[in-house]
Amino acid sequence: MSQRDQKKNEGDEKLSFRADVRRRLRGTSGRGRKIRILLGYLKPYRARVFMMFGALVLAVAGSLAPAPLATLAIDEGIQKDNLTALNWIVVAFVASALIAWVMTYVQTYLTGWVGQRLLQDLRRQIFAHLQKMPVAFYERRPAGVLISRMTNDVEALDSLVTDSVVTLFQASLTLIGTIVILLWLDVQLALITFLIFPVMMIASLLFRIASADAYRRTRETIGSITAYLQETLSGVRVVRAFAQEERHHDEFSALNDTNRDANLTTVKLNAAYFPAVELMSAVATVAVLLIGGSQVIDGSLSVGVLVGFLAALNGFFDPIGQLSQLYTTYQSGMAALDKIFELLDEEPDMSERAQPVVLERLRGEISFEDVSFRYRTDKGTKFALQDVDLHIPPGQTVALVGATGAGKSTFAKLVARFYDPSDGRVLVDGVDLRDVSLDSLRSQMGIVPQEGFLFSGTIGENIAFGRPDASGEEIAAAAQAVGADGFIARLQDQYDTEVGERGVQLSAGQRQLVAFARALIADPRILILDEATANVDLHTEDRIEDGLRRLLAGRTAIVIAHRLSTIRRAGRIVVLDQGSIVEQGTHDELMAAEGAYWGLFQDWQRQAAA
Amino acid sequence: MATFLRLLGFLRPYKKGVISSSLLAIAAMGMTVLIPLMIGKGIDSINAGDTPGLQTFAIVVVVAAILRLALTVYRRLIAGQVSLGIELDLRNQVYAHLQEMELGFFDRNQTGQLMSRVTVDLQAVRFFLGYGLIFMMQSALTIIFASVAMIILQPGLAALSLLPVPLVVWVAFRYGTQARPAQQEVQQRIGELTAEVEENISGVRVVKAFAREARQRERFDNQVDRVFDQSMIATKLAAFYNPLIGFLPQLGLAVILFFGGRMVIDGTIQLGEFTAFYTYLLMLLGPMRILGVSLGMAQRATASGARLFEVLDRDPRITSKPGAPDLPAGNGHVQFEGVTLRYEGANEPALHDVSIDIPAGRTVALVGATGSGKTSLVQLIPRLYDVESGRVLVDGVDVRDVDARSLRREIAVVNDDPFLFSATIAHNIAYAHPEASREAIELAAERAQATSFIERLPDGFETRVGERGLTLSGGQRQRLAIARAFLADPRILILDDATSAVDASTEREIKDALREVMAGRTTFIIAHRLSTISLADEIVVLEDGELIAHGSHDELLEASELYRKIVEKGLPDQVFLTLNPLEREVAPL
Repeated sequence: MSQRDQKKNEGDEKLSFRADVRRRLRGTSGRGRKIRILLGYLKPYRARVFMMFGALVLAVAGSLAPAPLATLAIDEGIQKDNLTALNWIVVAFVASALIAWVMTYVQTYLTGWVGQRLLQDLRRQIFAHLQKMPVAFYERRPAGVLISRMTNDVEALDSLVTDSVVTLFQASLTLIGTIVILLWLDVQLALITFLIFPVMMIASLLFRIASADAYRRTRETIGSITAYLQETLSGVRVVRAFAQEERHHDEFSALNDTNRDANLTTVKLNAAYFPAVELMSAVATVAVLLIGGSQVIDGSLSVGVLVGFLAALNGFFDPIGQLSQLYTTYQSGMAALDKIFELLDEEPDMSERAQPVVLERLRGEISFEDVSFRYRTDKGTKFALQDVDLHIPPGQTVALVGATGAGKSTFAKLVARFYDPSDGRVLVDGVDLRDVSLDSLRSQMGIVPQEGFLFSGTIGENIAFGRPDASGEEIAAAAQAVGADGFIARLQDQYDTEVGERGVQLSAGQRQLVAFARALIADPRILILDEATANVDLHTEDRIEDGLRRLLAGRTAIVIAHRLSTIRRAGRIVVLDQGSIVEQGTHDELMAAEGAYWGLFQDWQRQAAA
Repeated sequence: MATFLRLLGFLRPYKKGVISSSLLAIAAMGMTVLIPLMIGKGIDSINAGDTPGLQTFAIVVVVAAILRLALTVYRRLIAGQVSLGIELDLRNQVYAHLQEMELGFFDRNQTGQLMSRVTVDLQAVRFFLGYGLIFMMQSALTIIFASVAMIILQPGLAALSLLPVPLVVWVAFRYGTQARPAQQEVQQRIGELTAEVEENISGVRVVKAFAREARQRERFDNQVDRVFDQSMIATKLAAFYNPLIGFLPQLGLAVILFFGGRMVIDGTIQLGEFTAFYTYLLMLLGPMRILGVSLGMAQRATASGARLFEVLDRDPRITSKPGAPDLPAGNGHVQFEGVTLRYEGANEPALHDVSIDIPAGRTVALVGATGSGKTSLVQLIPRLYDVESGRVLVDGVDVRDVDARSLRREIAVVNDDPFLFSATIAHNIAYAHPEASREAIELAAERAQATSFIERLPDGFETRVGERGLTLSGGQRQRLAIARAFLADPRILILDDATSAVDASTEREIKDALREVMAGRTTFIIAHRLSTISLADEIVVLEDGELIAHGSHDELLEASELYRKIVEKGLPDQVFLTLNPLEREVAPL
C-alpha cells in the first residue's frame, strides 16, 4: 500500500469516526438532510411562512408589552400623579393586547395552513412513491406497516410541524424578550432571577427524560390491553365455545393492573415536578421582593419597576417549561421522519426503460425463452421457475396445472411483468417485456385475481375500473356478457349500488362476476385468470362458468385452473412441477400419455369418490 | 344530568380519597391566594419603609409556598390513585360484562365500536372523574377566593376588573364544545384516508394490472384535500378562540390600571392594594381557562358515559338460570324438537321447524347451499343462540335448563378458519384445560397429526402463533384446532367445513385426524365435499332453513333431488388442484 493510500485511508477513518460520533449524538444519521428536504416542501409557501413569522414576532411583542407598561403606569402615572400619562399608557396597554390577539390569530391560522399543506404534500408524495413500487415491494412488507407510514407517522410529524415549531419560536422569543425586559427594568434583580434558570432547565429536562420513559410504558401497556381486547373480542366464539370467560377476565385484570402501575409512575413524576416548579417561581418571587424591596426602601429602585418585574416573571418561567417539553415531541417526530424517509429513499428496483416501446394493439403472442426466476437473489433460494420455454400463439387458452409451489402463479406474474425474470426473456408479440411501456402493456392485459378484489364505490365504477370513460351502456353490456346482469338487476340501486370496502356487500361469487365484467370491458388482448376456489352456491357456480366462457373467447388466456371443466376446455394444458414444465397437451392427449397429469387426475378421482 | 350523576357514583368506593384530595386542594388554594396578599402587604411595607415588616411578609410567602408544595404533591398523588382506580374498575367491569354477553350481541356490534367504548370513552370518563372534577373545583375555588379577597380590598374596582371572568369561562367552554366535534371530524376523515390507502395497498395488483395509477392518485388527492379542509376548520376555531381567551383578561388588567391608578392617586387605595389586585387578576388567568376546559371535559365525559352505560345496561340475553344444574352425564344424544331460530332484526327465520334426533356417538353430515342454515343449526347445541320456539335437548335435557358452561365444556367446535390466540402452540392446544400436562398436549397433537409440523417450527410447542411473521397455513391451523378439541375431550364435536382449502395430501392427514377425534363422540360435520360427507353415518340436507331430507348416502341419492344435484355437480368438481392457502395469502395474482 502506497503512503498516499495509507494517508487517505487514515483520513477516511477519521472522517467515519467523526461521522459515527455525530450520528450517535443525533440518534440516527442524515437528519440534517431529512429536515432540509422537509423544509424544501415549504418553498411554495414561502410568502406565508414569512408572514407567519412576522405575525409571531408581533404577537410575542404584544404579549410582552403589558409588564413594562404596568411599570410605566405606576412610575410615570400613578406615582407622579400624572393622569394624562396614565391614560396614554392604558391605551397602549389595550392596544398591545389587541395586537397580541389579532397577530396570534393570524399566526395560528397561517401555521395551521402551512403545516397542513406540508403534511398533505408529504402524504401525496408517499402515495405516489408507493405507486411507483413494483408488486414485489408489497410482498415483502405487511400492509399495516405501509399504512402506518401514511397515517401514524405523518400525524406524529403533524404535532412537530404545527405545535412544536411555533412553540419553539414563540417560547424562545418570549424568553428572550422577557430577559431583555427584566434586564432593562433592573440589571441586578434580573441577574439574581437568572440564577434559577439553569436549575429549572435541568429539572425540566430530567423530568422530560424520566417521564418520556414512563409515558412510553403507559403507551405500551395500554397497547397490550387494546390488543388483548381486540383478540378476545374477535375470538369471542372460541371463548364461548370452550367456556373460558373467567380465565380471560383474570388475564385482562392482570394487564389492567400493569397499566395502572405504569400510570402511577407518571402520576408520581407529575406530582413531584409541577408543584416543584411552582415552588421555584415562588422562591424567585420572594427573592425579588426581598432584595428589590430593600432597594426601594433605600431609594435605589422605584416601586413601579418592582411591580413590573414581578409581572414579567411569569413570562420567564412558562417558556422554560414549554421548551423542555419540545424534547419529547422532537424525538417522536424525528423517529417518524426517519421511517418516512426510509420509505421514500427506497428506489423501485424495477422500472421502465428511458424510452420504452409503446405497444400497438397486441395480437397476443406470448413467448418464454429459457426463463428462470427466483424471488430472492441470495444464495440458496430455490428457483420458482427454471428454464421454461413456452410459446403461446395468439388466441389460445392455456391452463396451468400443478401442485402447490409448482410455479403457476409465478408464471402468470412474469407475463404481467410484476417481476422480471432472473434469466432468459419473456416476450409479447416478439418484444421483450423489459423494453415495453408498462402502461401500454397492462392496458391491453386483463387480470382476474382469485379473490375478486373490488374497490369501494359503485358496481358501475368497479366494472369501469380499467376504462373510466366507459358509458353506461358499455358497462351494462359487459355485465350482461359475463352473466352479472341478473344479480345486479335485483339490487336496489342496480349499477349504482355501493359495494362497500373491498366489496363486502357482495357475495364471493358476485364479486367474481364483477371482476369478469371489469376485465371484459377493458377488452384485453391477453387475459390472466387465477380461478377462484371460493365456496359459491350452485346457482352462481353455473353462471360463473358461462361468464368465463364468454370472457375467454378470442383472447390469449393463461388460466391457473382449479376446475376440471375449465381444464378440459383449455386449448393446451401445461403441467408444472417444481418450476419446470413436465408435460403439455390437451386433456385427452395427456390422459392417453398416462404421465403426471394422468396421475393427478387419478388422485382427484379417488378423493372425490372416497 | 342523570348520566352525570351516575358517573359520580363511580367515585363512591373512593370517598375517602375524593374528600381528602378536595380538602388538600382547598388548603393549597388558600396558600395560593395568601401569596399575592402577602406580596401586596410587602409592597405596602416597602412604601412605608418598613424593612422588618417586609422580611416577615417574605417569610410568610416562602412558608406558604412550601406548604402549597406539600399539599399539592399529596393532592396529586391521591387524585391520581383515585383516577387510576376508577379506570381499572370500570374497564374490568365492562370487560366482565362483555364476557357475559351472548353471541348475538357481537354480531350486531362491531368489534371496533366495542373497543372504542372500552378505550376512548372510558378514558374520557376517567380523565373527568380523576382530574377534571378536581380542576373544576380548584379553579372555581381560586376564582371565588380571589374574588372575595378583591371585593374585601376594594368592592368597586373588584366588580369592574372581574367583569371578564365569566366571559372567559364561557368562551373557553364554547371553544371546548365546538373544537371537539371539529377535531372528531378530522379524525373521521383521516380514518377514511386510511381506508383508501389500505384499499390501494391490498389491491395494488389490480391497480397495476389495469394501469389505473393516475386515477387512484386522483381519488387519494381528493381524500387528502378533505382532511386539509376539515383541519382548517379546526385550525380556524383554535385561531379565533385561543387568543380571545388570552385577550379578555387583559381588559380586566387595563381596568385596574385605569381606575385603580386613579384611586391610588386619589388616595382611596394604597399602592400595595393596587399591586395585590393586579397580581390577583394575573393569577386568575390560568383558572379561568381551566374552568372552561374542564366544563368541556364534563360534557364529553357525560356523552362517553352514556355510551358506556349503553353497554353496561344491556343485559345478557343468554344466561344460565340461577342454580341451574350441570349437564347430566351421558354420551351425547342430541335432539332438535320443532326448532325455529330467528336472528335479531331478521325478517326470515334462519331455521324453521327443524326436528332431528341424533343418537349418541353418531356422525351426521349437514349439507346444503350457503345460507341454508347448517351453521345456525349447530350453533344451537352449545347454546350460542337461543331458539325462538321448539327446544334443543342434549342427553335428554333442554340446553336452557343447565349451566351453560357445563354444557359448553362437553362440546368442541372446529372451524374452517380456526381462530388461534397469539400464544404458544402448547397454550393454544391446551385452551380448554390450561392446566393440562405436557404429555396430554403432545398426545393431543399426535392424534391430530400435528406433531410433525409442530416439531419443524422454530421453537416447537413453544412457538408463538402470529409472531415474527410466522403464519400457519389453513391446514396447520385446522390440525391445531382439532388437537384443541381433542384435549377438551367433549361428548359432542362440531366440525364446520373443516377441510376446505387444503390440498389433497393435507386433506388426507386431516381426515385421519378427524377419524381419531370423532371416535366415541357425537359429531356434526358441515360438509362441502363428498370426501368429507363420506365420514358420516347419516346426512341431513337443509335448504332455506328447512330440513329437506335425512338419511344415509344411498337413501338420499334415492330420495332427494337436491342431494343428487350436489353430489353430481357441486361438490366434486369444486377443487381439482388447489393452491396452498399460504401461497394464496402472500402471493395472490
